[in-house]
Amino acid sequence: PCRAQPKKKKKVDVKKEQAQKERMKKKLKKLEKAAPELIPIEDFITPLKYTESNRVRSLPALSPEESERRVLLLKKWCLFKQKQDKAEKKAIQALVDSQQEALKELQLESEELYQAAIRRDEGLFPFERDGPSYTPPLPGYDPPEGKCIDITKVYTQ
Amino acid sequence: DALLGCQRSYRSRPTHGIGRFKYLLPKEVPKRRKEKVQMKEISAGTEYQYGDLNIQMTSYDLCLVEHFAQHVHRLCNRLSIRVNESYAMPTKTNEVLFLEERGSKMQLDAVLTTHQRVVQIRGLSSTFAPILLEIIQSNQPEGVHLLIKEHTEADFKSRLKSRPELEELLAEMS
Repeated sequence: PCRAQPKKKKKVDVKKEQAQKERMKKKLKKLEKAAPELIPIEDFITPLKYTESNRVRSLPALSPEESERRVLLLKKWCLFKQKQDKAEKKAIQALVDSQQEALKELQLESEELYQAAIRRDEGLFPFERDGPSYTPPLPGYDPPEGKCIDITKVYTQ
Repeated sequence: DALLGCQRSYRSRPTHGIGRFKYLLPKEVPKRRKEKVQMKEISAGTEYQYGDLNIQMTSYDLCLVEHFAQHVHRLCNRLSIRVNESYAMPTKTNEVLFLEERGSKMQLDAVLTTHQRVVQIRGLSSTFAPILLEIIQSNQPEGVHLLIKEHTEADFKSRLKSRPELEELLAEMS
């Protein structure tokens, strides 16, 4: 008489566990089927307040002398920028040419050093550099105490 | 199907294809299904060439960083360096609070947004790499922080949304 009851308990437990495991597996499969999504970038979504209002700026009328002056200024600026760009391209080409010449000379000198020079530099990356600042930091400046809180919106799928 | 119907027109009969009209309608462009976001293969690079490199530009100023990213992209196009992708990372918002001189209250100073743009290139030759770095550095605008590193899977995963339910289930299963 004592045998029947413990056996029932074991069967029910095992079945329940198996059913739970299957349900979890099914849930997993469903979630894994859905492809991961990219986080939407807030930069590319124009906020609504810039599309709703109807105010339009009315520009004043330009006199012909003024427009003539502006067109000539634009042409001068284009020429200046073109010269700058050409100078840059020339500089890049000069750099590349001088590098190639140096490598050729090195190859003539010694083959081993040439091979070592051609290889890629593992210590180059990661490379970090801060942009130049308008005003360098003041020496001996005592900033007020404070803290920064990160309030970026966290997206979950 | 014009051939099916109660009046079957045989191919030899003059009434063959009498009910056809689909060839007269304008061509419909097939609907594009949503492409799944999949990670592209990351190349390791040979001894004389670097693999996938990420040029990351960070700044508080959106226009500057956007224009600089465009400039770098065009530069790579001009120097015939293969650009895999050019994307934007999600923006981070920071609230800066500072302690008032008299009092213990934290005063809200400003809300800053940090923007990041990434240009991914492949196949940069080892001799040309320092030249490219020089060019990018000389054109770097103020306040834009430059970072060049190799592309890893973790970088790609940071762009995707987090799935807490999936992670929970995986933790439970194992």
